[in-house]
Amino acid sequence: MIHDFTYLKPGNVKEALAMLAQHRDSAKIICGGQSLLIIMRQGLVVTEYLVDIKGLDELSYIIYDPQAGLKIGATTTHRTIESASLVREKYPVLAAMETRLASIQVRNWGTIGGNLAHADAAGDPAPVLIALNATVTIASSIGIRIVPLEEFYPGLFETVLSPDELLTEVIVPPPSARSATAYQKFNLLESDQGIVAVAVSLSVNDAGVCRDARVVLGNAAPVPIRAKNTERVLIGSKLTEKIFAKAGETAREEADPVADIHASEDYRRHLIAVLTRRVTKEAWEQACQA
Amino acid sequence: MTANKYSVLNTRVHNVDGYPKVTGRATYTFDVKLPGMLYGKILRSPHPHARIISIDTTEALKLPGVKAVVTGKDTLGVKQGIWRRYPELCDEQILTIEKVRYIGEPVAAVAAINEEIAEQALDLIDVRYEVLPFVDDPMEAIKKDAPMIHDGVERNVNVTRHIEWGDVEEAFEEADYVREDWFKLGGQAHMCMETRAAVASYTPDKKLTVYTSTQSPYYHQALLAGVLGLRESDIRVIAHYVGGGFGGKFELDAAQFCASVLSMKLSKPVKIVFTREEDFIATKRRTPMYYYVRTGVKKDGTFCAREARVFTNGGAYTGMGATALYLTGFFHSFPYKWKAYRYDGYRVYTNSLPSTSMRGFGAPQAMFCSEQQIDWIAADLGLDNIEIRRKNAHTAGYEVPGQATIGSCGLGQCLDRIEEWIKAKGTLPKNRAIGISAAGFMTGGIFNWFDSPYSFSSAVVTINVDGVVELHVGAQDIGQGSNTTLAMICAETLGVKLENIKVHSGDTDHCPADLGAWGSRQTLMAGNAVKMAAEDAKKQLLEFASAKFGYNIIYDLDIKDDWVHNVARPERGMNYVDLVKEALRGKDGQRIIGRGHYTPHRKGMISPAYSYMVQAVEAEIDVETGKLSIIGCTTAHDCGQPINTLGLIGQLEGAASMAAGYGYLENMPVEDGKVMNPNLVDYKIIRAPDMPECEIIEIDTFEPEGPYGAKEAGEGLTNPTAAALGNAIFHATGLQMKQAPIMPEMIVNAFREKEKGGGTP
Amino acid sequence: MEKQLLRFYVNDQEYELFINPKTLLVEALRDHLGFTGTKRGCDTASCGVCTVMVNGMAVKGCSVLAVQVNGMNVTTIEGLEKDGKLDPIQSAFLDEGAFQCGFCTSGMIMSARAFLNETPVPKDTMEIRRGIEGNLCRCTGYNSIVRAIDAVAKGKYRGVCDDSK
Repeated sequence: MIHDFTYLKPGNVKEALAMLAQHRDSAKIICGGQSLLIIMRQGLVVTEYLVDIKGLDELSYIIYDPQAGLKIGATTTHRTIESASLVREKYPVLAAMETRLASIQVRNWGTIGGNLAHADAAGDPAPVLIALNATVTIASSIGIRIVPLEEFYPGLFETVLSPDELLTEVIVPPPSARSATAYQKFNLLESDQGIVAVAVSLSVNDAGVCRDARVVLGNAAPVPIRAKNTERVLIGSKLTEKIFAKAGETAREEADPVADIHASEDYRRHLIAVLTRRVTKEAWEQACQA
Repeated sequence: MTANKYSVLNTRVHNVDGYPKVTGRATYTFDVKLPGMLYGKILRSPHPHARIISIDTTEALKLPGVKAVVTGKDTLGVKQGIWRRYPELCDEQILTIEKVRYIGEPVAAVAAINEEIAEQALDLIDVRYEVLPFVDDPMEAIKKDAPMIHDGVERNVNVTRHIEWGDVEEAFEEADYVREDWFKLGGQAHMCMETRAAVASYTPDKKLTVYTSTQSPYYHQALLAGVLGLRESDIRVIAHYVGGGFGGKFELDAAQFCASVLSMKLSKPVKIVFTREEDFIATKRRTPMYYYVRTGVKKDGTFCAREARVFTNGGAYTGMGATALYLTGFFHSFPYKWKAYRYDGYRVYTNSLPSTSMRGFGAPQAMFCSEQQIDWIAADLGLDNIEIRRKNAHTAGYEVPGQATIGSCGLGQCLDRIEEWIKAKGTLPKNRAIGISAAGFMTGGIFNWFDSPYSFSSAVVTINVDGVVELHVGAQDIGQGSNTTLAMICAETLGVKLENIKVHSGDTDHCPADLGAWGSRQTLMAGNAVKMAAEDAKKQLLEFASAKFGYNIIYDLDIKDDWVHNVARPERGMNYVDLVKEALRGKDGQRIIGRGHYTPHRKGMISPAYSYMVQAVEAEIDVETGKLSIIGCTTAHDCGQPINTLGLIGQLEGAASMAAGYGYLENMPVEDGKVMNPNLVDYKIIRAPDMPECEIIEIDTFEPEGPYGAKEAGEGLTNPTAAALGNAIFHATGLQMKQAPIMPEMIVNAFREKEKGGGTP
Repeated sequence: MEKQLLRFYVNDQEYELFINPKTLLVEALRDHLGFTGTKRGCDTASCGVCTVMVNGMAVKGCSVLAVQVNGMNVTTIEGLEKDGKLDPIQSAFLDEGAFQCGFCTSGMIMSARAFLNETPVPKDTMEIRRGIEGNLCRCTGYNSIVRAIDAVAKGKYRGVCDDSK
């Protein structure tokens, strides 16, 4: 059963920030509520004030700036992102990830901001966005700050947001030439959260050598992690089957997975190795053709 | 296929409950709202095994909005069970008084003005437990020093069953090749879309009405009478629409019991609806089993001997588990002729949720072991896996020694058609293979140990003055379409259009007695009863026609498509509705009433008839991750005469989805007595993108026992899929998977074992 | 806790409720307004039997606070038929036997309706399957449902019912 709360509905971002500044720890933010309402129903989240930002259309947008890149407002729904031709053309991995997220109903109402702020280790968007080197814009009544998404999660179900702060925007840098990002998750049923997931972003130089790599492991640790040792295996080489396999083995060791009823730690590591190998190869082949 | 000789049978018709269901008008127990209705919640044991020292409800009663709190001490404390003729199988009080035996067992129930207050009240009930040592695995529970779960039940052996024929030792001697394997079969949740639910309304005239999601209003009326101390006829059970049953909803459950007890205390309606979590942890599930199978065959593939020893995880109470124990042993011999066969089954109490019947009733578990081992034996001996089955297959008229007589049997044809189908498929890509499984299943469990040893059904057909037919049956539609199937039989028999039939079911005040929807019995048993009732009504009607036209009632008159006519000269006749009008005008004010019933007589104790099938599952394995996907599922199926065409397709596809789940998705781990995944995020039910296309190859047979030659369809079809999937994995990879469901991690581990040279796991 | 005024449309009819803000949309519909066609089946927003349309989008009624649909138009199963005429999807479900126990059917039909509104010509049946991915069915195995939706998409009910919603 959901515990009673006082409902607050700000008319714009400024009002929302003022409410958060006033109530701080006594307030929680709800947007689409696709994750929050479930845990509220379980009594895991009890709050005095609920600040509803679902209606803040000023935060619902997808725009592309050639310098800054793709800017997505926090209250933009998953469905809007997956359907946007802008996203499909410039960041197909993002659109593809969204089409395999939960279900249409969840994507129609749930938002990217809400998803990222919920900080679920098994969430799909974070690993992909971190591979894409995304940043998030955080606002408070005092001002704004920008945080790389890979620094947004200090721990399981935790973000760096202070009680008076609101995630307002996600920014994905413009795609560089000859680069590609690929993402795969392992699950029993399509669109389930991944038992593990891997996102890889690679760019290749004119000499056919891997210039840059970002490897992100999802649900292989309390938070999405950059597998930097794995990246070092890739950077500076012409990638081959042997290197893809080595990347997989390195990622296996870099992961810090838990055991649960779905998979043992050993099996998760095994899956990380397989997926990293496959996703690295996929990203490489796409990058070389780009 | 031969042309359809029937007007109504085996045609595509709208489900007779279709309009209410597709327009949102169908009212389930979940939707029932009565004036002044209160909401009930159940307090459940957090311990797998404990003595109840005391229960203090005073604080809970003080909470504003709480109207009553009851514990087992407020009830008659009757130890009840579904098989009432055997007191030793009646071991469950539901609101337990002395001891809790599983996590989730009800210890108290609250009625309040809304659900939220009822739930808050639960936290205010103070239960003192003396925690006892628990045991949640049958192989541990059967040991000498294991905690005793039920007083006087040594080594927690709840029930044993033994089936034997021939000389097993001698037959093993004759065998050229003997193979033995151990298997582990998991449980499975029924996972009905509508959870357990009941609205009980006791009124000052000492009558109780219970709306409930049930497979058998008849059983529930009687069971409630037994535990509440009421007369059966003072209880009315209503179940107009039921959101799924699958074998889990014909025993008394805590929603029905607690709602009734609370309502009787308050003379107010009380509604209890299980949350999905409660439905997972505190209802009975498919029986998990340990299976030992030893099989001896001749080198040409002739089956000689089989010996099976099975230990089932009974959980805390018996339920229908005793029957599942028997049937798994019975169907483990199916569908083959064994020279000698011996089965010993042990149902062991454990401190976990009880296990009971679930669609397939022990046969899916039996097939997983038998059908895979047969493929492995065939491979060991270099024999063809269809041919080895063909060699030993049941045939029509075969006597399963001391157990059953097989009536119609299309198994041979099923094997032939699947063999053709597989050949036509040709070579498959790497890591993809087809696995098969044969099966045979009962068409109507004859056994009934509720109030008489025998199963029965009854029906009443009443013809109104406008020709509309009121069909009253006790058979319960739980989604399988029995209302439609029985209406079709009625229409075909009477010779009238289907839209003339109005079906009445799901109400003990108005419907004749019938044991309800379980054991695949309704098409055959209720169908026969309906046919008889319709024939009775038709005969009465034709007596008027005979008097009117002068035609002979036996040879010369018939009704077809609403037209009463001379058989030889069909243009001579009259409209059925006009005949009815005339007939009723001449009567004493009554309508024409036909009565029918069916009780299988001298058909053994299992079933009067058996359906047969051979299923081929095409599966693909990702050998690196162990992930399985089912590409397609093709079934050659013998259900005698199909009645409800759309219903049959739906049953085949639905059964495949549930059985596939048992094969590779619906893992239900229980650790220290705790269900680890009691929600739909972690318990995996197949969804639309993962469901394979299913193909059905109908095999033509005629079953003399069934109405118009019909047999069951829908429960037998859950038997083969997990086994066929296992065989697909075997043929694709060589792995022999001995645990169901088959999870990807198991496959990866099996590959590793194989590489190490450890042989089969 | 202060109650909130909710003014919204259900099946094109305006309603006003004064409710505890924690009321879920499905509770507002079922318990406050009596639209019991929409069901509930789980605690984790997994089963989809509570699916309704909000401004034409399929959403799970158990995962939306009722107050969030203020001013919006909610369509429930009861709102699909028009003056006694069934929606083509409803007719197709009858023709294909695309339901058994019926408990998932309301939500399933709403998902199907929303899907076909957005994607009147699915490129293949897998796309249809993904369109109803958020709806569990324990009885049918989905294939008859897919056939029903496919029949509507292929124009079988054009002219028989109005399918141009």
